[in-house]
Amino acid sequence: MNWKNIKLIFMREVRDQLRDRRTLFMVAVLPLLLYPALGIGMVQMTVTFAEQVRTVVVIGADEIPEPELIREQHFAPEFFSFSEDAKKLRVITDSPSSLENAELDEDSRAKFQAFLELLEKERTTLNRLADIQEQVFGRKDAEKPKVELIAEEADLRKQVTSWFSVAPAQVLVVFPEGFKKHYEAIDDQFAAGDFNFGDIESSLHAIILHNSANEKSDIAYQRVRKALKEWEKVLLKQRLETASLPISLPDPVQTTAVDLAEAEEIAANVWSKIFPALLVIMSVTGAFYPAIDLGAGEKERGTMETLLISPATRTEIVLGKFFTVMLFSISTALLNLASMGFTGKHMLTAVGSAGASPIGDLSFPPLLSLMWVVLLAVPLSALFSAMSLSLAMFAKSSKEGQYYLTPLLMVTMGLTMFCLNPAIELTPYYSVLPVVGPALLLKALLLGGAASSAVWMYTIPVLVTSSLYSILALWWAIELFQSENILFREAEQFELSLWLKHLLRDKEETPSFVEAGVCFILIAFLQFIFLTSIQKDPSMFADPVNMFRFQLIYLIATVGVPPVLMAIMLTKNPLKSLKLKLPSWKMLGAAVVLPLSLQPLTLELLSRLDHLFPPVPAGAEELLKAMSSDAVPLWLTFATFAIAPAICEELAFRGFILSGLQRSRHKWLPIVISAILFGVIHMIPKQQFNASLLGLALGLLAVRSRSLIPCIIFHAIFNGTQILIPHLPQETHNGSLVRFAVTITKKDGVITAVDFNAVFLGICLAISAALIYWLVRHGQTPEESERPVDSHEPLIAEQSRLFKK
Amino acid sequence: MIRVQDLTKEFTDLKRGPVAAVNRVSFEVKPGEIFGLLGPNGAGKTTCLRILSTVLKPTSGQALVAGYDVVRFPEAVRANIGFMSGNTGIYDRMTACEMVEYYGRLYGIEEDRLQDRIDEIFETLQMNEIRDVLGLKMSTGMKQKVSIARTIVHDPPVLIFDEPTSGLDVLVARNVLDAVARLRDEGKCIIFSTHIMREVEKLCDRVAVIHKGEILDTGTVEGLVEKHNQPDIEEVFFKLIQSVDLTESSAKSGMEFTS
Repeated sequence: MNWKNIKLIFMREVRDQLRDRRTLFMVAVLPLLLYPALGIGMVQMTVTFAEQVRTVVVIGADEIPEPELIREQHFAPEFFSFSEDAKKLRVITDSPSSLENAELDEDSRAKFQAFLELLEKERTTLNRLADIQEQVFGRKDAEKPKVELIAEEADLRKQVTSWFSVAPAQVLVVFPEGFKKHYEAIDDQFAAGDFNFGDIESSLHAIILHNSANEKSDIAYQRVRKALKEWEKVLLKQRLETASLPISLPDPVQTTAVDLAEAEEIAANVWSKIFPALLVIMSVTGAFYPAIDLGAGEKERGTMETLLISPATRTEIVLGKFFTVMLFSISTALLNLASMGFTGKHMLTAVGSAGASPIGDLSFPPLLSLMWVVLLAVPLSALFSAMSLSLAMFAKSSKEGQYYLTPLLMVTMGLTMFCLNPAIELTPYYSVLPVVGPALLLKALLLGGAASSAVWMYTIPVLVTSSLYSILALWWAIELFQSENILFREAEQFELSLWLKHLLRDKEETPSFVEAGVCFILIAFLQFIFLTSIQKDPSMFADPVNMFRFQLIYLIATVGVPPVLMAIMLTKNPLKSLKLKLPSWKMLGAAVVLPLSLQPLTLELLSRLDHLFPPVPAGAEELLKAMSSDAVPLWLTFATFAIAPAICEELAFRGFILSGLQRSRHKWLPIVISAILFGVIHMIPKQQFNASLLGLALGLLAVRSRSLIPCIIFHAIFNGTQILIPHLPQETHNGSLVRFAVTITKKDGVITAVDFNAVFLGICLAISAALIYWLVRHGQTPEESERPVDSHEPLIAEQSRLFKK
Repeated sequence: MIRVQDLTKEFTDLKRGPVAAVNRVSFEVKPGEIFGLLGPNGAGKTTCLRILSTVLKPTSGQALVAGYDVVRFPEAVRANIGFMSGNTGIYDRMTACEMVEYYGRLYGIEEDRLQDRIDEIFETLQMNEIRDVLGLKMSTGMKQKVSIARTIVHDPPVLIFDEPTSGLDVLVARNVLDAVARLRDEGKCIIFSTHIMREVEKLCDRVAVIHKGEILDTGTVEGLVEKHNQPDIEEVFFKLIQSVDLTESSAKSGMEFTS
């Protein structure tokens, strides 16, 4: 790799993008203009926004007890938390002067007149409806069976709706006749100190009619209800006074809330929500448009081939372009954040000075947090840049490229929404997920405070894993760029039947990269279907033997069958695709020794890292418990958890999928990817970690031996020993090897601890390290030596010497 | 300088399965010679030249360019060739000078020498007046000049031209052909593909007629005319192509007959 070329390409692409008005607009102008413009627009909107006045009709205005509830066509402003709100409700009452004084044109006056007259007639219906509702809800003794009540209620409801839906008012309040008298009578009784009220609950009630499905009616109702509540409080206070009772009587506990939040913390809370989300979304958009221009755009304009025939290698070209995209992605994200931050601060301060702002002064997060924003922007943009570039390389034209933006954006938006949820916090598991890890870390860091000290330990896993994802994505981009099919993708008429025919007819020796991917997706999909279908019938797990049988079928059907079928149908040489051939004796030896020496090490590692993983779900826990249960014959346990997984999972992951991945020219990357895929399929985070590690060893064994058999042996022995451990007796004969190596503590038949002797662990480590070193360095690769001798060999040696100079 | 031996390139076609775009093609080109690749559209000319420029990898066979194997030492091959085709466009948002400079740097030419070389090329190709014009604003003829300048900036011993005159007007095409002829006189090894007979007659020292991925015959223009007993190269071309199509269709109908 020649860094000079990468730099040359990078500089050219950056200059090219800077000369493109569209990119400049997206990256710089838009964020600098958008947020201030949005801010000004919002201020304008709030200033000019006036809520429309809603109308409330009050029947029985003469029956309202003191203090005065309605004053000059409105509710009294003292009953609203913002006295201005009183003006948003117009009140029309049935008192003779009300309609005359109202500011209405003749037309609506007539309408209200008619409505009031109608109400006079419908009053009995309304009373009946309210009465029945009280009975239905059980607040009053029922006069007839509930079914009949409900039937009558529905009938009355229909009647009332028929005229209320066309009424000129949004809310109707009815005070029943004799309400005031009744109320005053109770007051008098209080004053006399007579607390025997009889059936006070079933006495007269006021009715509020509204329609919560109608937004106008609902808004008006919420206001009316609040005002009435405040008014009732005053009434209650008066009543308590007349009865010479303490005013605090209705609040026996009288809590006092003390808010410790300071202005900075409230601000931090706001930033911790906005910044991570904006950072993620803006690094995607900032990466995408330049990537499309640099990838598909260059293909379209015909300059790609010019670049391909320059001495720069394809890796150098991709890297040069990748750094360009990344630069623009980071700039877009950070410019957006800065612009958003300044506008937000300015606006909220402006609004805050006018009072009534719950946030108050919005100060910026501390410098250290801002530096973290910049630092975390790097892996995020790297990931999105590499992904966008891959899509852009794949697309034939800019137009086709644009289509790929939506799915990419949807996925990232989904992840961002997930991170915004206040209940989601950074856990060891989330910290290793792409996008989610950095976003949650940033959220936690911006929140600051006492919690941040615990957050620091996550910085390394987040940075390491997100860098790893970026490298993988970049590798994918380079891989795509190497492929002739993708670089010179012709517009071809696509027909499903033709394509299927082609797939079955033009088979290749071993599976392709894509077929390996499809195999993995198929396995994941089948597992998903199987698992969702059994969740409907958990009774299956009652009997452990049944559960084991199910597990066995599940493994064979979802993991074992797809790779075998795909190898037979889609490749010319299924045996080679699945690596079914005899290995060397050395490899078989390694396959027996390595799992035995690795087992204690992994158990020790897992028990030490146990606290980092989320707890195992209940269903899986049961399965694990059943593994050591005595109700299941040992052979069935072995078949289900050692033999079947060894065969099925090896066929899939070290067989078909690894063969497909090995089509790339890389030596080690296929092993890493197959190991990660092998981990992903295991669903429980702890198992995923364990399986990924094992996958590395198994992949190495498969690549070096070119055979699946050592892998199956390794896998079976590894799982087998894991099953055996619970079955080891607690007190083994003193002095035996087992006793020396491991101490098992059991409580009520359940293992509580497995402690390995440090010396034993050291020996295991030495053996494993030696074996893996041997596999990496000296493991045989027979096919490389089988390569035919080239007649040009001496000439080529000469050339390579010359070229290196 | 160029030695091609049994070069084959297969593509997978959805309808027909694997198709050989180039089928066991062999030829040789020496320095100071223009070798013409004459064939109709879709004959495999572009695929063949793309393999020589290392953009595509051959399915089988061998090709040595400037002494380097195209599969094993693609970088060395690319450093020693100049390649120009209808598909090698120039950047819209770069001036002529920047464009040539950029490629010169990619070829690793030292900065002093590069400036001298650019001045020299711009002089001979008479393109000093478009030095600071953006690609976007250039006419087709100007673009073609920039392409030629880009192709020869590193003074490569081998030059590959894939239909360099297609879509050009007569004047511009003439300029391109003159440039190619000048390069031959400088002793370059040149391979030139076209479907225009006049260009072959005027320019090529030797010519290969290629059709459906296979070379039908190779020789000098005069030699081919004489050998096939035709008035000119155009007639030779038609005769060769017709004979292939005839045998193919008769083979097909024969198959139909027997089945």
